Amino acid sequence: MSSAAVLAAEFQAPSFEYSLLSPLLVIFGVAITGVLVEAFAPRGSRYLLQAVLAVLGVVGALVATVIVGLNLVSRGGGTAHGSIAAEGAIAVDGPSIFIWGTVLVLSLVSVLLFAERRLEGGVLSFAGQAAALPGTEAEREASTRGLEHTEVFPLMMFAVGGMMLFPASNDLLTMFVALEVLSLPLYLLCGLARRRRLLSQEAALKYFMLGAFSSGFFIYGIALVYGYAGSMNFAAISAAVSGRAGGEGLLLGGIALLAVGMMFKVGAAPFHAWTPDVYQGAPTAVTAFMAACTKVAAFGALLRLFYVAFGGARWDWTPMVWVIAILTMVVGSVLALSQTDVKRMLAYSSIAHAGFLLTGFVGAQQVADVGIGEITSLQAVLFYLVTYGFTTVAAFAVVTVVRDAGGEATHLSRWSGLGKESPVVAGVFAVLLLGMAGIPLTSGFTGKWAVFTTALAGGAWPLVVTAVLFSVVAAFFYVRVIVLMYFSDPVGEGPTVATPSILTTIVIAVGFAATLALGVVPGPVLDLAAAAGEFIR
Amino acid sequence: MPLWWPLLLSSLLFAIGVYGVLVRRNAVLVLMGVELMLNAVNLNLVAFDAYFRDVLHGGQTFALFVIVIAAAEIGLGLAIVLLVFRTHGQIDVDTMRELADREEPAVAER
Amino acid sequence: MPVVDPAAADGVFSLLWLVIALPALGAAVLLLGGRRTDAWGHLLGVATVAGSFVLSLVAFVGLLGRGADDRAFTQHLYTWIEAGGFRVEASLLYDPLSALFLLLITGVGALIHLYSVGYMAHDPRRRRFFAYLNLFVAAMLVLVLADDYVVLFLGWEGVGLASYLLIGFWQHKPSAAVAAKKAFVVNRVGDLGMALGIMLMFATFGSTAFAEVSRVATEATDGVLTALGLLLLLAACGKSAQVPLQSWLLDAMEGPTPVSALIHAATMVTAGVYLVVRSNFIYENAPVAQTAVVVVGAVTLLWGAVIGCAKDDIKKALAGSTMSQIGYMMLAAGLGVAGYAFAIFHLLTHGFFKANMFLGAGSVMHGMDDDVDMRHYGALQKAMPVTFLTFAMGYLAIIGFPGFSGFWSKDKIIEAGFEDNLVAGLAALLGAGITAFYMTRLMLMTFFGEKRWEKGVHPHESPKVMTVPLIVLAALSVLGGVMLLGDWIVGFLAPVVGEAEHHTPAVPPIVMTLVVVAVVAVGVATAWLLVGRREVPRTAPQRVSVFTRAARADLYGDAINEALFMRPGDRFVGDLVTFDNAGVDGAVNGTAAAFGGMSGRMRRWQNGFVRSYALSVLVGALVVLVAMLAVNLA
Repeated sequence: MSSAAVLAAEFQAPSFEYSLLSPLLVIFGVAITGVLVEAFAPRGSRYLLQAVLAVLGVVGALVATVIVGLNLVSRGGGTAHGSIAAEGAIAVDGPSIFIWGTVLVLSLVSVLLFAERRLEGGVLSFAGQAAALPGTEAEREASTRGLEHTEVFPLMMFAVGGMMLFPASNDLLTMFVALEVLSLPLYLLCGLARRRRLLSQEAALKYFMLGAFSSGFFIYGIALVYGYAGSMNFAAISAAVSGRAGGEGLLLGGIALLAVGMMFKVGAAPFHAWTPDVYQGAPTAVTAFMAACTKVAAFGALLRLFYVAFGGARWDWTPMVWVIAILTMVVGSVLALSQTDVKRMLAYSSIAHAGFLLTGFVGAQQVADVGIGEITSLQAVLFYLVTYGFTTVAAFAVVTVVRDAGGEATHLSRWSGLGKESPVVAGVFAVLLLGMAGIPLTSGFTGKWAVFTTALAGGAWPLVVTAVLFSVVAAFFYVRVIVLMYFSDPVGEGPTVATPSILTTIVIAVGFAATLALGVVPGPVLDLAAAAGEFIR
Repeated sequence: MPLWWPLLLSSLLFAIGVYGVLVRRNAVLVLMGVELMLNAVNLNLVAFDAYFRDVLHGGQTFALFVIVIAAAEIGLGLAIVLLVFRTHGQIDVDTMRELADREEPAVAER
Repeated sequence: MPVVDPAAADGVFSLLWLVIALPALGAAVLLLGGRRTDAWGHLLGVATVAGSFVLSLVAFVGLLGRGADDRAFTQHLYTWIEAGGFRVEASLLYDPLSALFLLLITGVGALIHLYSVGYMAHDPRRRRFFAYLNLFVAAMLVLVLADDYVVLFLGWEGVGLASYLLIGFWQHKPSAAVAAKKAFVVNRVGDLGMALGIMLMFATFGSTAFAEVSRVATEATDGVLTALGLLLLLAACGKSAQVPLQSWLLDAMEGPTPVSALIHAATMVTAGVYLVVRSNFIYENAPVAQTAVVVVGAVTLLWGAVIGCAKDDIKKALAGSTMSQIGYMMLAAGLGVAGYAFAIFHLLTHGFFKANMFLGAGSVMHGMDDDVDMRHYGALQKAMPVTFLTFAMGYLAIIGFPGFSGFWSKDKIIEAGFEDNLVAGLAALLGAGITAFYMTRLMLMTFFGEKRWEKGVHPHESPKVMTVPLIVLAALSVLGGVMLLGDWIVGFLAPVVGEAEHHTPAVPPIVMTLVVVAVVAVGVATAWLLVGRREVPRTAPQRVSVFTRAARADLYGDAINEALFMRPGDRFVGDLVTFDNAGVDGAVNGTAAAFGGMSGRMRRWQNGFVRSYALSVLVGALVVLVAMLAVNLA
């Protein structure tokens, strides 16, 4: 920005588009209100207040998102529409709206999962008193008094806000702030499990340390890019990248380090190591939320950063993403083969999915390359994220209901013979697994189809061959669980399926329905993804 | 002062921070390593800001944001470390290996 | 080469969707209805498939009423996937090829459903069995009615799923679970070919619909077409149990016998042949891939036949035979326009006689307390007259006894083989001889000779509900040849696969036929000499001693004969079976083990040390950083 112009202008209050940003404002508003409720409402009424507040907030934000989405203005003549808000800090465009909608719907089901009380005998599945030591007087008192950390709801709302801001941010500063706003509450939520508290705290510590470590790389990258472009704004960075006036090293180093931070968040190899440990240790509701929503938000941000800001340097970063994508698929599918814990297996599966998503991303088929009406990589990835999100949330929700005396029975040997114990739960889980494996007529097939074909059209055929190969490998461990559930006899007294309240039932039903619906009639959602158009610049 | 002086200094500080994270087993010292990494970047940002004579002072503003967020992060990190100390009795990160892929499948049931 | 160019379905053809919907509905009701449907579930299962058969028959009659150029219809259901320019329509294609498959699947399917009512009468999970069978029929119908490779893939995966469920149906048998797993593993390799083929097709033609691909197929380069042909062949090999992906079929016999009859003999395993014939517009432009199809077919038809010789398990012997007969079809399909119609012809007749024989075998097992070892059979022709007579019809058909359906269809393939090249023809001819040998052996060991029954076994004829399907199928096995009258089937399929120019063959057909009959006679005679004229040991002796004894019993047999002919031949059979078990299974298991080992090794990095995770992040970051700088600044 020219300095003279700024100096010459009189001071003007920054404009702030309240209506455009209303979904964000609602969520952050609800989060802050939640903190106040925690401070002032009597303990007995907090659960209901917080849960209702969170649900209403998410629904309200969803309504606001729809309204904003319907009123987006076309920009630049192409398929892009939307506006830059908050003095250039936030881009409210088609993809942002799509991701907001996805994150909000997935958060809505996650809130229901958070609010489930019946499975733990009338209390939340979060620690009653996190600071109390297991097996001490304080702990016993906490459990007899039925204490609950209802703070999980506002914490989650802050994370949701961060997840919405992250993919919509239009400059590096906002992106970094959003990254931290989404991460910090998650670190805490990971450590709040009621059962297996030590594992949960270990997960929190690991997630926190590695997360902080990787954000160090992320901001180092920001600094280098700033040093190259002289601005944090994506449009300005894009202009500088296209201009390419020396200082290559700063730009390339910056891209590399920003990629490290991003790849860490999406769980791509070799930055994936936290994923299985944290997914396993965290409370399952949090894992579901984290696995679905964080991945959606992080991929949204990844796409915006690399397509908008670094689009001009596409040929510089494509090879890197190729290698990471292949490595991620290999690590995810191969390591999942030998897992014995269902949550870890789903974690590796989510790593493999990140690899498939990266395949679509690296196809980098952009508006300029596609024929009339073909879908771009962006739209394919957005669609895949929706399919992945619903299936994942429902799969983890199923994990919460398969229990034994020690809480959730996550060891796979405990799942054998589940088909006899509870045909419905086993059947639903089998469909979800088939969905993740990408069997036709499930959402996974359509999603994989979308990303692979755009990658092919973008000329990345070796990557697609690898991806298809490893989706075959991945099918093995999904089917292994199905075989275990149906063709094996129960070990010991066998698993029991607890009857959850209506909340968890809704979550499972929604995820199940979405998995089938997006496989049979993917049209409407694909249309929505296509209507999201392109990022605005 | 040439631009590369502060850049070099900052990269050295960053490297020391990384080294701290990698070799320290005490969780608090690991946190200090992270802190050092973040602040090394601040130096970078401020140096670039001064170099560009950025009217909006994007770099310096960012540095302020980083300081605030680092403070929040450390606050939260110490809370987690404290929690871990209460339950585990120590804060040696190398002892926390319950969550891992093991040779023989053995998941702690507790 | 014909282009797929269907008209919109109207009149009776607009009921096409119902053909699939009925069994699908049946499966849904039976699966969701739970125990409430136990009482009448099996009847519903039969009724839905029978209903589909009636509809197929009506549609077929309607098709015959049309002109030859007016026999392809498409029924658009809805747009399945639409992403801008890429569309997959959920549409059905009804043309002469699909029409024949529809009749086979629903017709034989209905008979086998009916048979299962009796066969599974004492199984507590009969309802579930019928649900899976219905599911299979629905998926198979999707496969053959698809008008787009993606929709075909849907059916392809569906039949695979139903097949695993049914192979592992008797889950209390560990061997059944293992067999289901093996079928899954091997089939994934085939599916990989299918998935890649479809991807490549999309990338090349921008569409996966038969109509579009057949229209623009010639525009692609030779390399792409060859690759497409080979990928689809890989898929076909997996599904149709062709070498090198054949090993799962023998193990699949762990499933209930009606399943073996329907899925692993008459319909699903022929899907590979269907795929190749359906994709004629690709293979016609890819001669290399066509040759590969011929090679696969020829190798498999011998391979399967040799395996058939060595098995004492009646179902496994029949499974080897299935493999071999599908090899014939593959070989014919690889011959191009000259062979497509005969491949389908043999597929249909094989569907009749092999289903017949499997059901017959099931009937025998039913009477013998589920014993499958032929060494415990013998002299059953008196105890089970209906089963014996119907089985005999199937037997005469498969060995190609003049006048029976198999005679016409196999003869045509051997003829076409010789016209193409000598090796293919000789392989087919030799196969016919071996087929005659092992089928005669099976026949003799089961129905003739001395009683070798286990104690307490009292063979009895099966109930009507089982014998009626046998009789119908036996009749079809005898009469199936009428489809060749006046080359009807060739003309009927011509709009789909094209018609070869007629030319006079080098060898007069009648001479050819005589040669085939002579070879078959030699095969039968050999079996008679080796098996029929002596007592069959109740337990399998060391194979060499079997032949030693046979040689002793034989006046003209002597040590030289044994050493020169029997032993090496026997060793060859033994080796082939060993290789089949060790080599091919070894490759499959080896791949699985390799991934498992890789997984085991990679696990070590996930060691739980947070500092080592941080190190992996750092190393990753450094590699990314250095690579970025090195690649772009160098």
